[in-house]
Amino acid sequence: MQSEIRQPLPAADSGRPALAFVCPRLAEAGAVGGAETLIRRLAERAARAGGRVELLTTCARDHFTWKNEWPAGRREFDGLVVRFFPVDEDRDAAAFARAQRRIGRGEPLTAAEEAAWLAHSVPSRALCDYLRGALASFDRVLAGPYLFGLTSAVAALAPEKTLLIPCLHDEPFAYQPAIRRLFASVRGCLFNSAPERELAARLYDFPPRRGVVVGMGLEPFTADPAPLRKRLGFAAPYLLYSGRRETLKGTPLLCAYVQTFRARTGRDVRLVFTGSGAIEAPEALRPAITDLGFVSEADKHAAMAGALAFAHPSCLESFGIVLLESFLAGTPGLVHAGSPALRALCRDAGAGLWFRHYGDFETALNWLLDHEAERRALGALGAAYVRREYSWTAVERRFFERGLRL
Amino acid sequence: MGRPGGRLGAFVHMDGPLRTGHVGAICLRRARFGLYSPAMSTTTQTPEMEIGAAGVDVERIVAEIRAEADRKIAAGLYDDARVARAERSNLVQLLGEDDFLTFYLKGLRDAVTVDISDFEIHERRKWGAPLLVRFKKTLWSALKFYTYRLWSQQNQVNELFATALDGLEQRYREKITQLEKRVAELERRLPPVN
Repeated sequence: MQSEIRQPLPAADSGRPALAFVCPRLAEAGAVGGAETLIRRLAERAARAGGRVELLTTCARDHFTWKNEWPAGRREFDGLVVRFFPVDEDRDAAAFARAQRRIGRGEPLTAAEEAAWLAHSVPSRALCDYLRGALASFDRVLAGPYLFGLTSAVAALAPEKTLLIPCLHDEPFAYQPAIRRLFASVRGCLFNSAPERELAARLYDFPPRRGVVVGMGLEPFTADPAPLRKRLGFAAPYLLYSGRRETLKGTPLLCAYVQTFRARTGRDVRLVFTGSGAIEAPEALRPAITDLGFVSEADKHAAMAGALAFAHPSCLESFGIVLLESFLAGTPGLVHAGSPALRALCRDAGAGLWFRHYGDFETALNWLLDHEAERRALGALGAAYVRREYSWTAVERRFFERGLRL
Repeated sequence: MGRPGGRLGAFVHMDGPLRTGHVGAICLRRARFGLYSPAMSTTTQTPEMEIGAAGVDVERIVAEIRAEADRKIAAGLYDDARVARAERSNLVQLLGEDDFLTFYLKGLRDAVTVDISDFEIHERRKWGAPLLVRFKKTLWSALKFYTYRLWSQQNQVNELFATALDGLEQRYREKITQLEKRVAELERRLPPVN
């Protein structure tokens, strides 16, 4: 078995390798999170580069209900073959939720409970059956994120061919023994950031040589904030947050901090949101919040370009696609120090500040308001950094030359 | 200046301050980092990713911001109920910080006693001010009289809790220090691993 694990990819002259990407949902415009977007984009780029590429996913759209909404079968999206398979109808959502809650509370699970937790976390026998039958025709299976039972089930089919795209962050689920076994079993990992790889090394003794930092490429864009500014109807500086608004993403914390900042300093800094979810904010802050909801990419980029800073208060990130987009728009980041991945992006790009608590937040925000030239310099550095390190050319180089050669 | 390629480790080159800011003495400098790639020594000699080439030293800016915030915390500028409220949802994230307990124990010690002393009573409205002040003073006296027993007991409980927590923290800190010393000593005695 060991010799099989070390079996290399077909030689370069035999053409591009055949790749199966697996993720629990298909990323659609504005409807799902970063991990799904990342996997879809990588699959699209791999398909464009040639060779056989398929993205295997479930028919689910909603990450709470996992209800089968897409019709099962094969479809093509921008040249990428996507195969939809139903989530098992006999999935015990209640058992899964019970186990999930217990893990969240830090309670240990028995081996049987842990197995049940994974078995009921987005299972798709149809997807696994298809992959089992087609395994011989694929050189590599790229599956993620780590958290889903589907990922573990796929990795178990052919660990020697599986490259995990874990999107790992420090949360109770990452400490489950089954996840440690998952990392130990696969051929290698494609990480989004160096801190994510370091976390895998810390949690699972994952050897750095079996992982490569790849990330996701971003298309360059230019954005004019002026028309959006007019629509916003105010001239005050604002912090922007884009994405899902929920406690785990830290949006209530951001609202509380901005409200306190306004009350204590008397400075008119507003909050602009794009994305989905209810905004949990103090009543007094409501007039200072603008919720744009789902917007076009052009509007999102304009909102980024016009912001004082892009605020990312989440501690549970393995990457920061929206933060990098903001850098590309020339806007610096203001992120929570509790997220090593976001902190590393700000530090490595030289394009953002990070805060531990309100004291840091207030001081950093005052600094950004009072140092316009420096703020612009940070933004410019961020844009240059993204163009250099997160262009598709750079990402494809890391993916094809390093990732697929693990 | 070209980027260093193929060298392990990192270096920073300062070209001098562009501008000095007013948060502490935050300096914006041009910094140049070498490559940063923990996996490189075991994989290849070409960099996986380069970081911060020709960048602003944000680590320095953040360090200055932190120092400034720490100075303000020490001076009690954040002893503010609004900050405490805002910080509630951040507590979980702060648990990972090494100095979390010290920071919050200090806050607890500062805020442990409910202040039931008398205070100066003012009235901003000009019309009927003396009468209003007199009314407020009477109200406060009554409130203090009827709640004194409650608050003094609450203060007693708060102080007991704070002292107990303080004692526990000190005791375990000493114990951990002793254990760390012992582990280090035992590790020193172990034969070297080949």
